[in-house]
Amino acid sequence: MAEKYDGPILEIENLSISFFTRLFEIPAVMDFSTTVMPGEAMGLVGESGCGKSTVALGVMQDLGVNGRIVGGSIKFKGRNLNDMSREELAKIRGKEIAMIYQEPMASLNPAMKIGKQLMEVPMIHEGVSEKEAYQRALEVVTDVRLPDPERMLDAYPHQLSGGQQQRIVIALALMANPSLLILDEPTTALDVTVEAAVVEIVKELGKKYGTSMLFISHNLGLILETCDRICVMYSGEAVETGSIKDVFDKMRHPYTQALFRSIPLPGANKNSRPLVAIPGNFPLPNERPNGCNFGPRCDYFESGLCDASDIPMDDIAGDDRHESRCLRFRDIDWDAPIRAAVEVQKAEIGDVVLKVDNLKKYYEVAASALFSHGEKKVVKANETLSFTARESETLAIVGESGCGKSTLAKVLMGLETATDGHIVLNNKGVESVPIQERDTATVSSIQMVFQNPFDTLNPSMTVGRQIMRALEVFGIGKNESARRQRMLELLDLVKLPRDFADRMPRQLSGGQKQRVGIARAFAGDARIVVADEPVSALDVSVQAAVTDLLMEIQREQKTTLLFISHDLSIVRYLSDRVMVMYLGHVVEIGSTDQVFSPPYHPYTEALLSAVPIADTSVTKEHIVLEGDIPSAMDPPSGCPFQTRCRWKKDVPGGLCEQEVPPMKKLADGHQIKCHLSDEKLARMTPVIKIAAE
Amino acid sequence: MEALTWSGSLGPFLNPVMLAAVVVFFAAFVINLLMGFAGMRPADPIVNPDHTISYRMGPVDITLAAMKYAVFAVLACIAIFILGGILQPGMEAKGIIGGVSAQFLPVWIGLVVIFVLSIRYKRRLGLYGKLFDNLVGMIGFGLVMFWILTAIFAPTIATHGPIDVVASMRNDPPGSMVANAAADGHFAYYLLGGDALGRDVFSRMIFGAREVLTIAPVATLFAFMVGITLGLPAGYMGGRFDTLITFVANLVLAFPVILLFYLLVTPEIVEAGVPVYMAAVLFLLPIIFIWVLFYSRYRNQPGVIKWVAVPITLALLMLYLGTVFEFDPFVWLTTSFIGYLNQGNPVSDWMLTTRESYDPLVGIPIDGNLLIVFVAVVFVNSPTVFRIVRGLVLDIRTRDYVAAAQTRGEGPWYIMLWEILPNARGPLIVDFCLRIGYTTILLGTLGFFGLGVDPESPNWGSTINEGRRLLTIYPHPPLPPAIALMSLVLGLNLLADGLREESLKD
Repeated sequence: MAEKYDGPILEIENLSISFFTRLFEIPAVMDFSTTVMPGEAMGLVGESGCGKSTVALGVMQDLGVNGRIVGGSIKFKGRNLNDMSREELAKIRGKEIAMIYQEPMASLNPAMKIGKQLMEVPMIHEGVSEKEAYQRALEVVTDVRLPDPERMLDAYPHQLSGGQQQRIVIALALMANPSLLILDEPTTALDVTVEAAVVEIVKELGKKYGTSMLFISHNLGLILETCDRICVMYSGEAVETGSIKDVFDKMRHPYTQALFRSIPLPGANKNSRPLVAIPGNFPLPNERPNGCNFGPRCDYFESGLCDASDIPMDDIAGDDRHESRCLRFRDIDWDAPIRAAVEVQKAEIGDVVLKVDNLKKYYEVAASALFSHGEKKVVKANETLSFTARESETLAIVGESGCGKSTLAKVLMGLETATDGHIVLNNKGVESVPIQERDTATVSSIQMVFQNPFDTLNPSMTVGRQIMRALEVFGIGKNESARRQRMLELLDLVKLPRDFADRMPRQLSGGQKQRVGIARAFAGDARIVVADEPVSALDVSVQAAVTDLLMEIQREQKTTLLFISHDLSIVRYLSDRVMVMYLGHVVEIGSTDQVFSPPYHPYTEALLSAVPIADTSVTKEHIVLEGDIPSAMDPPSGCPFQTRCRWKKDVPGGLCEQEVPPMKKLADGHQIKCHLSDEKLARMTPVIKIAAE
Repeated sequence: MEALTWSGSLGPFLNPVMLAAVVVFFAAFVINLLMGFAGMRPADPIVNPDHTISYRMGPVDITLAAMKYAVFAVLACIAIFILGGILQPGMEAKGIIGGVSAQFLPVWIGLVVIFVLSIRYKRRLGLYGKLFDNLVGMIGFGLVMFWILTAIFAPTIATHGPIDVVASMRNDPPGSMVANAAADGHFAYYLLGGDALGRDVFSRMIFGAREVLTIAPVATLFAFMVGITLGLPAGYMGGRFDTLITFVANLVLAFPVILLFYLLVTPEIVEAGVPVYMAAVLFLLPIIFIWVLFYSRYRNQPGVIKWVAVPITLALLMLYLGTVFEFDPFVWLTTSFIGYLNQGNPVSDWMLTTRESYDPLVGIPIDGNLLIVFVAVVFVNSPTVFRIVRGLVLDIRTRDYVAAAQTRGEGPWYIMLWEILPNARGPLIVDFCLRIGYTTILLGTLGFFGLGVDPESPNWGSTINEGRRLLTIYPHPPLPPAIALMSLVLGLNLLADGLREESLKD
């Protein structure tokens, strides 16, 4: 805009926001202060329920009927937003402050064409003509690197993929050229490689337009990549704020430290350097302790001091605007090595328990359900998969959505039968035996842990009853009381108190539900457990505890773990071998070290580069994949990855577009599916480099 | 002695108060509306530094408050009328309103007991308890309970029998005195007047509650059982079965309801046995439902199957055979057996004749017409229930706990009945309440058309129809059943609203 303003764009001072219910007040944000300078990107991190989204809504003055700002001020370009009338706010929203939400489809009007939605913004806020607005829309769509902008403007939201939709939402936010952009978990719903591309765009456009950003995320790695400054929130309060460098390398609050210790950074290892979970649970808003909110979970807690009174933010001498809400940060030895890291013996890898050979799973999709003659399409969900899994081994299956990992899980479990190929489980071929025809021993020996903790338990049955039902089905225990005894033992196994048996799932937190899910999977002494992203929906501090639990049970029971995930950090931390899948194909398989160091399959390389790592000492080679993952309904010819591969030009004769590459053996147990010649592969450099400290 | 006045001895004091309150209410309403047009808004709440909220009254708030207090005043007057009716001695002092409320005494006591107990223990009562956090839900529940209690205590409440005729009372206005009542030991007044045949309108309304409240909930329950039994597999398994059933459901829904009823009561169709065949199918589905419910859950525990599930199912089957076909396998078998042993002698002949005309030992004797009404209502309602259930199943079957059940090898019926159905209960309970309301209206409509039920019956629908003929001259006979029907359905809708709101909160 024309008017010049060179003070801070956003200045929040001692902001307190509460939600009022009929009975009492629930403080959501307390004493929150932050400043965002022009062109600066501010990251807001914290676990779910810490109040980070409430801050964003507070800035937008959109707290709903129950929410109220009960103290402090929010100044936007020097003007207090709290005192503005609705009309004034309406002028600022969307024009000067724009917001991008997590779910792209929910931010777009499904009944309106993209172009119309984009053009509306300048037409309403600046009253420009339709023609000019169209030009602007075209420009912005080009800026967010969408192919074929004219066609995009003429499309309806549902015709675009998730990644494209989110880019449109970004374009929508940028249409009015706002001074402040609030991004509330903008990439959580996207795949990693798509996320990397979207983050790249956000960063670049922020620079290009000189927009200040408030970036809300639970992912520290993403904040490191996008922001200049960071503010860590815990239970409604900012606990530490400062520049990225200061907070990541010289953290001065115990919560920040605990958070970093609970995420799998390169170098962490399940045997020699396990993660340190934060003990205890996140306090509910109406059950916060006196004094420091983190006190009850803090290693450095000192009673009488930390629980006496409210703790103010305190400056850390020598750093640029680096503050911590801790009374003892000057006394704590921040460089002390991690305590209580018990080294454990690596489990002995045993015999092969699962052998999959040339497994194929095709689905026939009929044109119409009622009249099923006519054209049929074949979706190749799994294409010639071959791998083995041994006792006590963790085999990670890595891939993005649509890569066929869930189909693989279904075929293994017997929910679907294979189209072709063999699955040998406990020396029995089970590829064409659906689950109803499998005997109880086979069914109980392969079990699954599910992704979404809020969905994994039946909400209308007690926890104990659900575990007992599994025991009953697996024929364990002679009678009700024997099964109850076994159920209580299983609760002990997953470290839940025994009185949880009579609770309903809604009374449990996400991590606790996931533990029950694990207990249920191990009810029939499973030999193989398929864990489908078991921790990805959990908060960081809980993730570590659940991961450790899985590892511990695996060591005790010598279980084979098939760990399905898209998160390479956690895969590197806990798996022995890794299998990378793309569009139904296994593109690379090998031991963890082999897969995580060159030579890579080009897709693995991109995936490694895309995963944000919350460590300032790590430098990554920057690889951004163009476009989205192709649909499995309509896969590309030849190599499945050729549409997005940056090495394609190094293969002579357009071979990539003609033939599916054969599995190539690189080293003992390390195979990739790629046409690249050996010398080209040998020249690959590591994507992730850890700077010598 | 003269006819009763409406408000009795309290009238002279309370009527002006009520009138004033109503005037105040409308005045405030109009002023508020005008201020709204003028762009004035209620004052925003002020947040105090001690984290409490207070309100400062603006002119708009004052009108709102006036409206509120006017409503309170009217409610207070009504409460005094009711209490006065109960407490004052003598019918003249009570008046019609007082007299009616005095007759309802058991209902008032019942309502007070239920509400006091429920509110006292609401934290322990789950969804039902949460209903008492919600004003709308409480009002709805109160209205519904009012009519349920009325149906239960109908003989005590009613002043006369539903078909007692006093010829001199034909079309007499409310509050009329019954001649020679004291001599016959009858109640001395027709509180809400007499109808065209000289029957007591008040008593017929009270007994009508019984008729309506026995058929509607049971018919709705059956419609739900049928809808669930078909909707679960259709949604869960999908495919051709789903396509077929959905098509049939659409077909039934597309057929005009009233026409369907007329068809069902046509003598030729009744003689051809169509209603009985339909009952045979529709009543069998709930039994299948209950058997599968038990079997899928306890299939690994033969003890439970043998001693609980099998006896219950057999008992239900007996009930089913007795009710629908008036056939009792025990009687049939024993008579046949004894008859076989004693061929040709008098005992055998006696046996064979009884076999022709016996009443089944178990089985609910249903009047032929009632069976038709029942079947028709179930038949019309179940497709809608089917669609709701199917939609819910389509959503819930994608949940991880369903996948978890599949991966431990549970059968499809276990998953449908124990993993999916309990989690669909919220919307189903709400719809159940709404649907009882619709069914009540439907029964009223049927009664209005004189379909199915006995013409003497005090059923609200047929009573309204009878009163319709002389409506312009004597409006008092059809009005009480109409108001009763309206308040019951309103209560059910409010109850459903309250349940929906509260079930969403968890």
